[in-house]
Amino acid sequence: MHRTQQDHRPGAWRLFLIWTGIGLQSFGGGATTILLIQREFVEKRDWMTMEEYTHYWNLCLFAPGINLVALTILIGRKLGGIPGIFSSLAGMLIPSATITCLIVAGFQQIEHNHITQAVLKGVVPATAGVMLLVGINFARPQLTLAYKEGPLSLVFTIATISISTLAIIVLQIPVFIVIVGVSLLGIVLFTRPLFKQRTSTDD
Amino acid sequence: MIDPITYFLLFLKASLFSSGGFSNLPSLHQDLLARRWAVEANFGESLALGQISPGPNGLWVIVLGYLTYGYLGAAFALVGLTLPPFLVLGVTAIYKRIEHQRWVPGLMRGISLAVVSTFIAVFWTIIGGQDWSGWLICLAAFGLAATKRVNIPLILAMAAVVGYLLYR
Repeated sequence: MHRTQQDHRPGAWRLFLIWTGIGLQSFGGGATTILLIQREFVEKRDWMTMEEYTHYWNLCLFAPGINLVALTILIGRKLGGIPGIFSSLAGMLIPSATITCLIVAGFQQIEHNHITQAVLKGVVPATAGVMLLVGINFARPQLTLAYKEGPLSLVFTIATISISTLAIIVLQIPVFIVIVGVSLLGIVLFTRPLFKQRTSTDD
Repeated sequence: MIDPITYFLLFLKASLFSSGGFSNLPSLHQDLLARRWAVEANFGESLALGQISPGPNGLWVIVLGYLTYGYLGAAFALVGLTLPPFLVLGVTAIYKRIEHQRWVPGLMRGISLAVVSTFIAVFWTIIGGQDWSGWLICLAAFGLAATKRVNIPLILAMAAVVGYLLYR
C-alpha cells in the first residue's frame, strides 16, 4: 500500500482542533463527515493518502458501532499515537454532542415540527449529492489502479461495483453479507496468479 | 425510575451489537420501551433532531439519551457509543498478521469495491423517494461540493433555506 512519505505528528491539541472543526461542520449525516475528513487530512494537509484513507475505512467496517468513531480512532492513532486517539475522539464528539443537546433543549421550547420537516426536505437530497461525491472519491483510486493494470482489471472492477450495488439495492441483501461476498470475489478476481504452481521451474 | 447502570449498559449493548449509525435502533427501542424509560415519540424526534444537529448521524443516540434522561443520559449515550468502536484496534492487529499473505490485496480490493456500492446504495435510498425538486437540490449540492470551492456546511445551509422556502 502506498503511504505518505514521513510520519506526521501534529500534536494532540492540533488534532483536537481539527476534529472539532470536522465534528461541528458535520451536518446532515455521515457523507458530510467522510468528505470533510478527506478534505482535512488528505487534501488540505497531505498527512494521509487516499489509499490509506479508504484502507482505514475498510477496516472500520469490521468493528462494531459507528464506523466514523472507529475511523476517528484509527486516524487519531496514526497521527498522534494514544494521545492522538483521545484528543481526536474528544474533538469529534464532545463539542458536537454538547451542541446537539443545546439544540434539542432549544427545540423543546418552540413549536418546531413543521419548520424542521421543511428544512429536512431540503437538506436530505443535498446529503444524497454529497454521498454520491463520496462514492466517486472512494471509487477513484480503485479505478485508477485497475486502469493501469489493463482492460481486464477495469472490467472486473466496474462489474464488481455494479453487481454489489444491485445486490444491495435490488436484491436487498444485507450489506455485511455483500461485503463478505465481494471480498471473497476480490480474492478470486485480483490475486495473480490465482493458483501458485506447485512445481515451478524458475525458483 | 431509571437505574443508571442498567441504562448505560443498554446503550453499550446496542452499540456493541450494531454496525453503522442506525442499526442500534431496534435494540434500544425494544429495551427502553419495555422498561418505560422512553416513549415511542422519543425515537422519531431523536432521529429527526440527530439529522439536523452536528456530528456523525450516529449521534442521534445522544439526543435519545438527552430526551429520556437529561444531560446524564446524553453522557451515558456518548460513552456507550464510543467504547465498542475501539475494537477496530483489534481488527488492525489481525490485519497486520495477515497483511503479507498473497490473497490479502485481492480481499482488500474486493472490500473497497463493496464500500463504493454501499455509498451508491445510500445515495439511491435517499434519492429514491424524491420528486424533481429533490433531484435538483441533490445535483446542485453534488456540483457545488465537487468544485471544492464551497464549504459543505454552507451547501447544506443553502439546501436548508431552499427546503424552508419550498416546503414550509
